[in-house]
Amino acid sequence: MNQNELAAKQKRTRQIVTIIVLIIVFIMFVIPFLLVLINVFKIKGDITSDPLALIGEHGFTLQNFPDAMEKMDFWNVFKNSAIITFCATVLTILFSAMASFVIVRNQNWKACALLFALMIASMVIPFQVLMVPLVSVYGGIFGILNSRITLILMHTGFSVSMATFMFHGAIHSNIPLELEEAALIDGCSRWQTFWKIVFPLLKPTVATVAIIDAMAFWNDYLLPSLVLGDKNLYTIPIATQAFYGTYSTDIGLVMAALLLAMLPILILYLFLQKHIVAGVTAGAVKG
Amino acid sequence: MASLSLKGIQKIYPNGYHAVTDFNLEVEDKEFIIFVGPSGCGKSTTLRMIAGLEDISEGEFLIDGVKMNDVEPKDRDIAMVFQNYALYPHMTVYENMAFALTLRKVPKDEIDRKVREAAKILDLEKLLDRKPKALSGGQRQRVAMGRAIVRSPKVFLMDEPLSNLDAKLRVQMRTEISKLHETLGTTIIYVTHDQTEAMTLGTRIVVMKDGIVQQINTPEHLYNKPCNLFVAGFIGSPQMNFIDAVVGRDGDNVTLTVGENVLTVPEDEKQILLDGDYVGKTVVLGIRPENISDKEDFLANNQDHIIKSKIKVREMLGAEIFLYFDVNGVQMTARVEPDSPLMTGDEATFALDMRKIHLFDKETEKNLLYGE
Repeated sequence: MNQNELAAKQKRTRQIVTIIVLIIVFIMFVIPFLLVLINVFKIKGDITSDPLALIGEHGFTLQNFPDAMEKMDFWNVFKNSAIITFCATVLTILFSAMASFVIVRNQNWKACALLFALMIASMVIPFQVLMVPLVSVYGGIFGILNSRITLILMHTGFSVSMATFMFHGAIHSNIPLELEEAALIDGCSRWQTFWKIVFPLLKPTVATVAIIDAMAFWNDYLLPSLVLGDKNLYTIPIATQAFYGTYSTDIGLVMAALLLAMLPILILYLFLQKHIVAGVTAGAVKG
Repeated sequence: MASLSLKGIQKIYPNGYHAVTDFNLEVEDKEFIIFVGPSGCGKSTTLRMIAGLEDISEGEFLIDGVKMNDVEPKDRDIAMVFQNYALYPHMTVYENMAFALTLRKVPKDEIDRKVREAAKILDLEKLLDRKPKALSGGQRQRVAMGRAIVRSPKVFLMDEPLSNLDAKLRVQMRTEISKLHETLGTTIIYVTHDQTEAMTLGTRIVVMKDGIVQQINTPEHLYNKPCNLFVAGFIGSPQMNFIDAVVGRDGDNVTLTVGENVLTVPEDEKQILLDGDYVGKTVVLGIRPENISDKEDFLANNQDHIIKSKIKVREMLGAEIFLYFDVNGVQMTARVEPDSPLMTGDEATFALDMRKIHLFDKETEKNLLYGE
């Protein structure tokens, strides 16, 4: 075997190993989702007896969906989740995009540098450290727990640092200062320059921040469980708790609830996927 | 259109760096002024101060007699073409050109008329629906021009608008800009580091170095009568030859000795050297490559102005030949006719056209003949 054949064989072996590893990782990620998909169309008994069977002994059923929706008060909790996720995501994008624009374009201004440094520092503080004081301050002193607005503001506050960091990078590397100067000469105010020129060019980063934050807000359990005590204000993740009884859990209903919870965010991801890749790689290479 | 006045303009950055020092210029209506100089000479900074993108540290800037120092860029009625075009990537060519008028709430039909007129002038009619990324460099450049034209501003500012284009397109666009100036009759201030652009486009050129204006005059004047060594070297390609020469006397004549070559100075220049008490001192002799000749009849008539050397490099450019040779350890260039028989390695005899020489003070670097 000459050197060329040996190199070709080594290359092929490396490719095969890579593919095998990727398949294993893919299966690990997909199996939970597949289990939900398989079992959501079975009754509780069929799931317990053979959770891996494609169709249960009692056949295919859609009954889990209406049952789950009724038990978790689906449309109400969906509305709560949607309002909270939408508002918090929009606020995060607006505040962080505007903040990062000011920070990037005023780098000589020490207050901006300090603000940005504080934001970065805040990203490393675990939420669990803040959770008890947060609830005691907002609940005990201000008495504003049990409100969607409180949760929206808290979500926004916790996510705005990371989003500012992402917008900062995007503006710094992808928006030439000359574009803004051209806009100023064309007749824009600073405000108009941001909204008419800079913000539209941040579309990939907006999409990335939107999907990351929307997923986090939609799926978050801990913060809503601390803030929202009133059943009427429950979000989907808290509402799924209704299926976990002390002595028994209706696993079919849990599966249906999980699928219902997953679908909206999955659809959003599919819509924004193209921009997310562009947002993550923005500025990596010269355009 | 408008006249501009810059009086004692200075730009001093917070760290104390003087980017522009005591800049004075009066620009007449419809003039095409070129700011030229090497990188970091302050030409773009001055342009940006005119645009309102940089604060003026000291001095006064007026448009039509009205002080503009603290007026916002949008209220100065100027348009600017940037080096990298600065087209809005998310807008079509039409939207890019219409943007400034839309902001000023100009009626839609008037915007449409102006955009289409400008597009016609710049041959952009078929590209109006395209986004900038779908355009070539030259097309983007024309859109940037169009964006400026539609506003009919008092002054056009152009910051190295051709430097991102390839050589051929640059020549083409240079002609286009020149035509545009003729057609629109606008006041234009144009920044470049390319002396060819400066010479071909400008009605007047401002030569800058280290934030200080060296000379302001017409291209012909700068070429023929540069005020100092820097301007003489910067304007002209290939650049002027500079060589140290010792001023001496030979009876009634004044001579310049360059190595083993002794050149007799003409009457006018002779008097200047005598008046300045330069005899016995070293001056810098400047002569442009086209004023060095190897033609036999010229050699015969200029026996007092001969230099001899060995040709080191011969560059044939078709319409002319550049010959490179050393005199007293300094490389010199001669631009000769394409029928010149001289080849690399030949021992050559050249005559200098002494009526075209320049003499510079070695200390002050000022032109002794045309110092301003």
